[in-house]
Amino acid sequence: MSILKEALKNFFSKPSTIEYPRKVTITVEKDLRGMFYADLNKCTGCSLCSIECPAKAIEMKKLPEDKKPRHNPRGLYPVVNYMSCVFCYRCVRVCPVEAFITTPTHQLSSTREVYSEDLTVRTLKAIG
Amino acid sequence: MGAKPTDKDAEILIKIPISLDVPIGPQHPAIHEPVMLKIYADGEEVVHAEINTGYNHRGIEKLMEKNSYYKDKFIASRICGICNTVHENCYTRAVEYIAGLEPSERAKHLRVLVMELERIHSHMIINAIMAEIIGFDTLFMYIMRDRELVMKAKEIVAGHRVLAELHMFGGVRRDIDDVKKEKVLDILKKLEPRIKYYRRLFEEDSSIYSRLAEVGRLKSAEVLSNSLVGPILRGSGVKSDVRAEDKYDAYGNIPWNMVVRPEGDSLARMLVRWDEALESLEMCKYILEHLPQGSAVVDERKLPRTFPPGEAYARVEAPRGELIYYVVSAGGPNPYRVKVRTPSAVNIINSAFSYIGHSVADVPVILVSYDPCISCMERAIVMDLKNNIEKRVPLKYIAQWEMQ
Repeated sequence: MSILKEALKNFFSKPSTIEYPRKVTITVEKDLRGMFYADLNKCTGCSLCSIECPAKAIEMKKLPEDKKPRHNPRGLYPVVNYMSCVFCYRCVRVCPVEAFITTPTHQLSSTREVYSEDLTVRTLKAIG
Repeated sequence: MGAKPTDKDAEILIKIPISLDVPIGPQHPAIHEPVMLKIYADGEEVVHAEINTGYNHRGIEKLMEKNSYYKDKFIASRICGICNTVHENCYTRAVEYIAGLEPSERAKHLRVLVMELERIHSHMIINAIMAEIIGFDTLFMYIMRDRELVMKAKEIVAGHRVLAELHMFGGVRRDIDDVKKEKVLDILKKLEPRIKYYRRLFEEDSSIYSRLAEVGRLKSAEVLSNSLVGPILRGSGVKSDVRAEDKYDAYGNIPWNMVVRPEGDSLARMLVRWDEALESLEMCKYILEHLPQGSAVVDERKLPRTFPPGEAYARVEAPRGELIYYVVSAGGPNPYRVKVRTPSAVNIINSAFSYIGHSVADVPVILVSYDPCISCMERAIVMDLKNNIEKRVPLKYIAQWEMQ
């Protein structure tokens, strides 16, 4: 009888392991080298980040003609492939206009390729 | 059991070769490198050992010739995961010698701080693996848990737990403020009693003592003639440390003692590592309390694109021993040649002699990962004494024939 009781108790109790993605137990420093993306309000499309990347994770893409900012005549902007990126922040440090926005986000594992395209394009919309 | 068979009753004679060939590895033989140890054993005793390498050749030296000096800095730190900062430091200093750049005093101290934090966690992980191999899994878990404290300290100082990426030609890439300094000091304060406890455990615990003491004893002459480096050298009573000999970066300004033990056995080498971890802890505390003022961070946008022709040779004391970088520049953005000699290469390839005379169980990598019975499939000779026929069969055949 006590076995049944124990089994029922365990059936309804929560697992003793940490439910990782739901329960965040890891705390990281605010200046951890985590996810980063380009700010189109500053980026001039010079492609230096793409040239300097040791992991070849940055690709320069073209903006549509109507969305080109005045300070970016070629309309190029960097798209980071987070699956290839090694988070060395070489691009962040060599950028002549300091256009990269850095975050400590580090939980980026995914079943598909993750790019910074949406995040970067959203920065342009913020100014309208 | 019947009567004992005598020679007259014998119908066949089985000759088994005296040495059994026991391959250990290359699939994860409990150490980090995919290395293959071919052990020839007479019964339990090792009579000959061969070391086969080349399973992890990634062509990094060629890759470095194809890439620029700046990309190479990130490639160099990926040669080894555990001692990435010393690789970075060695390459950075070699390029600095070519370019004539000199980092500031604060930058030099920060470099030493991260390298010493790395030495603590590297020595902790190798002691944890040793505990696991001798069957003391609880100790493995405890040491790995406390190692997380060091990783956190490294994250605070450098930005990442494992890959620090702190170095840049002419300085460092990040600075620390007073808040971070206090955080790291707090962590070191928590860590010190733990390391002291583990050191005492390795010294006093009878099961660890009986597994490690008198195993793999190396005389100082043997160590020197086989050019083994690092804690192996200092565990055999040879006083040699690149940090003391070269006084690179800020090692000349920081007081520290070289740890030397005369015994030369496995236990002495592990205790040298614990003592060095404690010594590193004191060095980290000293650096944090006596950090020079001034700027440390170098602006990467203003560094030169190309480097003048020349050659440079730099060496550091990695947690595993002396690490050497030789960089040749022919001018231009890419190096002409980068030669890396890691301490593990010398220590593993030249150590075949040290297995001889010990039992198979004392070859440390065998204990967790490999069961030598599986590859006992050596051939035996079966002689039919009545018909005087000799034929060669595998041992498996005899096992089946026994059962029939």
